[in-house]
Amino acid sequence: MLGKGGKRKFDEHEDGLEGKVVSPTDGPSKVSYTLQRQTIFNISLMKLYNHRPLTEPSLQKTVLINNMLRRIQEELKQEGSLRPVFMTASQPADPLSDNFREAQPAFSHLASQPLLPTDFVSTTPLESCLTPASLLEDDTFCTSPAVQHDGPTKPPPPALQPVKDSFSSALDEIEELCPAPTSAEAVAAETAADDAKDHPSESNVQKPEGLPESRTTESKLMDSLPGNFEITTSTGFLTDLTLDDILFADIDTSMYDFDPCTSATGAASKMAPVSADELLKTLAPYSSQPVTPNQPFKMDLTELDHIMEVLVGS
Amino acid sequence: FLAGFGNLMQDVLWCFSQVKGTIDIGVTEADIISTVEFNHTGELLATGDKGGRVVIFQREQESKNQPHRRGEYNVYSTFQSHEPEFDYLKSLEIEEKINKIRWLPQQNAAYFLLSTNDKTVKLWKVSERDKRPEGYNLKDEDGRLRDPSMITMLRVPVLRPMDLMVEATPRRVFANAHTYHINSISVNSDYETYMSADDLRINLWNFEITNQSFNIVDIKPANMEELTEVITAAEFHPHHCNTFVYSSSKGTIRLCDMRTSALCDRHAKCEYSPCQRDGRDRVPFGLKKPKKGSAETDLGSGLPCHLAPSSLGLCWAVVLPAAGHSHGHLPSVLPVPERSSFLWVPALHPLGEHVKNPTVIVIMTGSYNNFFRMFDRNTKRDVTLEASRENSKPRAILKPRKVCVGGKRRKDEISVDSLDFSKKILHTAWHPSENIIAVAATNNLYIFQDKVN
Repeated sequence: MLGKGGKRKFDEHEDGLEGKVVSPTDGPSKVSYTLQRQTIFNISLMKLYNHRPLTEPSLQKTVLINNMLRRIQEELKQEGSLRPVFMTASQPADPLSDNFREAQPAFSHLASQPLLPTDFVSTTPLESCLTPASLLEDDTFCTSPAVQHDGPTKPPPPALQPVKDSFSSALDEIEELCPAPTSAEAVAAETAADDAKDHPSESNVQKPEGLPESRTTESKLMDSLPGNFEITTSTGFLTDLTLDDILFADIDTSMYDFDPCTSATGAASKMAPVSADELLKTLAPYSSQPVTPNQPFKMDLTELDHIMEVLVGS
Repeated sequence: FLAGFGNLMQDVLWCFSQVKGTIDIGVTEADIISTVEFNHTGELLATGDKGGRVVIFQREQESKNQPHRRGEYNVYSTFQSHEPEFDYLKSLEIEEKINKIRWLPQQNAAYFLLSTNDKTVKLWKVSERDKRPEGYNLKDEDGRLRDPSMITMLRVPVLRPMDLMVEATPRRVFANAHTYHINSISVNSDYETYMSADDLRINLWNFEITNQSFNIVDIKPANMEELTEVITAAEFHPHHCNTFVYSSSKGTIRLCDMRTSALCDRHAKCEYSPCQRDGRDRVPFGLKKPKKGSAETDLGSGLPCHLAPSSLGLCWAVVLPAAGHSHGHLPSVLPVPERSSFLWVPALHPLGEHVKNPTVIVIMTGSYNNFFRMFDRNTKRDVTLEASRENSKPRAILKPRKVCVGGKRRKDEISVDSLDFSKKILHTAWHPSENIIAVAATNNLYIFQDKVN
């Protein structure tokens, strides 16, 4: 049963105690609470963007779902979690599927504009790229595309951990190349990586439908809302990201440019070069060799080229 | 979930009376009932469906021969109120689904009702014709023109009885005044004006003027990104033509006086539902039970009733079933009701005075699994009933249903997990003076009456 808007759920831990608020920090219920919240978050996004109405979408519905998403974002911020929510982490669709070309440019479009909801409205771009531990825990988002691609019944949790760690190591490498971000951010990245390890991935039972499209959700957040409800293209959930400026100034990304041809809403989506971190994420499920944690993520260049060819469709 | 009320002085046993609609498994979406409304006398019951049709049922006269059959409702008139349209500017369809029907008080032999879809309100006249003129000079009975040269004598047409025919004609079309989806309409007590409310705006119309409407409420923010609440319902005061209320999706109720200003953005009174009050609720999914004893929890069963003893000196209160509370037994995520409605009732505790013979109020609201619930405001009891074909024997008493939340399931209880959340009852209506209720479950309309002794 799917809900929308400001949900009120009968908390199973309340047990008739009136007015008792179950804090998310309660020990045993914390994981389930996080799981629930993440599920709600995913469902909310799905409801918002997977629906292709012939008629005008209900404004009330949209507002309620947006409220829910904002609420989750606020809560994540309040929790002071160092695990930013990164919606489209490791979300490759089947490269041969029709969705893929559509998804990929939208995704790259997002690279320049970070995703919702980052729980750091601060402009630290690095954190916004990190895979949220909660996503890794729940495997609801990350793994379904993998399922779609590989066809396994169970999502491959190990594949995600290396991605996570690869980030920190990749970021470390990048730090050496470019003006380094603050050490606090690096620490945050490490802590986030640690948190990810502490919570082993759970196999998810729930596989939301139409997940490959969820990558397009971010772009649609920008595009569909203005189209239908006169909402300006200023980002509600997104903050500007200058990651590309920092990290990839000297990388030739001409190969990765995509045509802005895919948004089904028809609104123009800004295309930006694919950034390397996206590649890392998208490629993680593809990597045939299992990468053990704590090892640097080394990509074979030829493999990378091959995959990029597939992505570009050249 | 529409609220209805009744004058129940004691527990009522609800019996099945009728069910309208097909039993077919392959129900077309167009048959889904989208609104139900009794007229002011209860003689007529109107339903609107997703296909844009309005079906009006009329209660038959009670016959002495069959005292147990207390006035059944039979089809009186059916007509297509709205057609699907296409908005060329946005390349979007405009649904023909009837969102609301409101009857006008009857002033002559004809019945008038307002029906609205997302964008257009229409005034329909439903009238009976049981006589027709016969004996025209210039045309045949078929209507064909006669050759004037063949006419040799004149005659006066006479009215002859005919089979009763009920015809519905659109008298007014009020269009192009709403950018967003109309969710409610309300006829003013002056019978000259009415208002239509969409997600962000409320417009005031005069029945005679279709190309103009006045905007009286506008909650659209300058930056749509900041939009967090929408209007869910609006209703005029039953007697005071300058007063109305509207509710928002956040659970606020605003009482407005049109005399104060042209744009009633500043409310005279605003009430919040208890759940909404805690803006810093750290449990987004938690159902916070309101504290006992507070003004909002008169019901005790968890249903807040918001009394708004208005500062305008009116002794009326507004009762609104708050979102989410009618499903106390559901441990999972609850949707916000898609509709709410208002009911003006005499205040129970107006400004601290003692009120004699307080009106008994029972609130009915729909739920899942084709359940619907009734809350008695005075006895603070509630009952859950089911609208299903299995319980559809004539005059069969409805058995209260019980949902068990967890743990051991007793016999006759239904566990939460086996509830069918796709079967929702979203539209109900209560007869204005008798204990007759109409409950719409998908494409079926159930009519229940209280048990006749």
